[in-house]
Amino acid sequence: MISLHPKPLPFHFFPKQPKPKTLTLRVQSLLQYNRKPQLAGDTPRVVVITSGKGGVGKTTTTANIGLSLARLGFSVVAIDADVGLRNLDLLLGLENRVNYTVVEVLNGDCRLDQALVRDKRWSNFELLCISKPRSKLPLGFGGKALIWLVDALKNREEGKPDFILIDCPAGIDAGFITAITPANEAVLVTTPDITSLRDADRVTGLLECDGIRDIKMIVNRVRTDMIKGEDMMSVLDVQEMLGLPLLGVIPDDPEVIRSTNRGYPLVLNKPPALAGLAFEQAAWRLVEQDSMKAVMMEEEPKKRGFFSFFGG
Amino acid sequence: MASIWTVHLHASSSFPLRNCSNELQLRPEFGLDCSNCTFWSRKVKSGKFVVRAVSSDDERRLQNDAIVTQNSEKINAEKNRQLNPVAKLQESISTLPSFVFSTGKFKFGGNLTIGLCIVATILVVVVRGYAARKSRYSRPGSVADLVRRGQLRSDRRGISTPLKYEDPFNNPMVKVSQSNSTVEMCGKVYRLAPVTLTDEQQSVHQRRRSRAYQWKRPTIFLKEGESIPPDVDPDTVRWIPANHPFATTSSDIDEDLAQNNVYQKHGVPFRIQAEHEALQKKLEALQIDQKLNKLVIDPAAARDFERPLKSNMKSESQVEHRPTSDHVNNSFGNKPQSEETQNP
Repeated sequence: MISLHPKPLPFHFFPKQPKPKTLTLRVQSLLQYNRKPQLAGDTPRVVVITSGKGGVGKTTTTANIGLSLARLGFSVVAIDADVGLRNLDLLLGLENRVNYTVVEVLNGDCRLDQALVRDKRWSNFELLCISKPRSKLPLGFGGKALIWLVDALKNREEGKPDFILIDCPAGIDAGFITAITPANEAVLVTTPDITSLRDADRVTGLLECDGIRDIKMIVNRVRTDMIKGEDMMSVLDVQEMLGLPLLGVIPDDPEVIRSTNRGYPLVLNKPPALAGLAFEQAAWRLVEQDSMKAVMMEEEPKKRGFFSFFGG
Repeated sequence: MASIWTVHLHASSSFPLRNCSNELQLRPEFGLDCSNCTFWSRKVKSGKFVVRAVSSDDERRLQNDAIVTQNSEKINAEKNRQLNPVAKLQESISTLPSFVFSTGKFKFGGNLTIGLCIVATILVVVVRGYAARKSRYSRPGSVADLVRRGQLRSDRRGISTPLKYEDPFNNPMVKVSQSNSTVEMCGKVYRLAPVTLTDEQQSVHQRRRSRAYQWKRPTIFLKEGESIPPDVDPDTVRWIPANHPFATTSSDIDEDLAQNNVYQKHGVPFRIQAEHEALQKKLEALQIDQKLNKLVIDPAAARDFERPLKSNMKSESQVEHRPTSDHVNNSFGNKPQSEETQNP
């Protein structure tokens, strides 16, 4: 769940402000305590969040990392590329505000800026849905349409976004091919079970064949108690099987289900949940193109102090 | 300051009895001698009594401020007491101890009283201010009231308060031990293990995958049964089942047009504009024909000005096969043209 930072973190009362690249007005998060992660790579960074297997947490990861990035002050556009079974709007609590989708943009019923749904909690986060449920996206230029979208977002007047996150559908079908088309890097979400790992390995192979070399993985739903009892593969075992750098390890947390039902992503919880902290750390590493250097293995009994006898 | 009160009460005027004993209490300090005793006794006999309350400068006397004389006819007195409320009041006054304040003597007490008054005033002001502030937030019908009643979710309100950012690696919820061997997150301590994946191992895995998964990105999607175009690599063809639930291989949108629609930054979207222009042209055509009195938009005629989409071409051909009854009901739900012309 945590990586030891390679260099000690200096504690800044006044955070470093990044040099403004454009003169456009951009909503910055309030960095009151600590430093801001340094954005690595060229913007916009187009990241596809994929897995092979369904139900491993792609959409949850997209929502939480997207909002974490927005909290860090980066401009983020999340694209729900799941054509038939979109859910990202539900997780973000924006389901009532999606009036137009990419299909309407392609048809000429609305402009692209009208289809982008701006999150009111963090105005530098925008959602774009590919299509409404039960509507069809023509496969003939599905991938091309996403490339046009990325180009249009790059050239828009209020400035290009820092991150474009694409929530990929499950499987390696046409939806997957469409979703990975404009991506430069990928985040592979997997759980520490053998079915998910096999699919993840295959998807990694397809991504590498497609030319996406920057692939990092997030291991989701890790239970340290099961790892300790050797009922679950450890994160290091997973890494040994896939050979991918670790972006994050998300512990199994019932708070995830609660936040999903509420439409309020986990990272906005106060006080933060364990999984929310892990997502925040993963977002930080994504910004800095960093990977984990150490992983949490098992829970240790907490050392009790001298005054613990008295309840201290 | 001295004060002497003498109270004479007659039995006929409902005397409140403080002391119910039948004995006559005579106290030497009032200076009553035996002759007075006879007088008193006489008075008693005649059924009358006198109450004398004496107050003087002597503090010891002040403590015993009243002398009560009572007739033996207790029953009458009880009756009187029940009847007259004024008597009750007088009794209660007489039971109160008499205080004599000397302003010159009690300076400290006076300051204390003033201080107490000031403190009480400040306290009242503060409490009123607090109550007013509290009532401001619980105003019925306000947004805060809606949140309190559960009508509105505080976390989903329009603009939430921005969260203060906390470094996910360095905050009170995450504490890495000095030896970097454990981490405490959300109150739980976990053992840390270093990641041992090397670049060499990564490249080994990449080579393994490149051997295992030979894959080319599909560039063309064909339905099962369709023939492969001559200039297309067969490896890049993606075969889509005909009953694919969500996707169609044939696009009913012109590709260039769709690209322009995506890149459009300003103005009216293409399709909205096309429909508007179609209506405008129809109106102009009607004006030319001087048929403004019978303003009816024929969907069949408006169809000619719609955007050139394949789907519309299909629907156009379908519409042409329909009976002409569609022409009668127009898009605005007006009455048929023939009926309008029939009306005077």
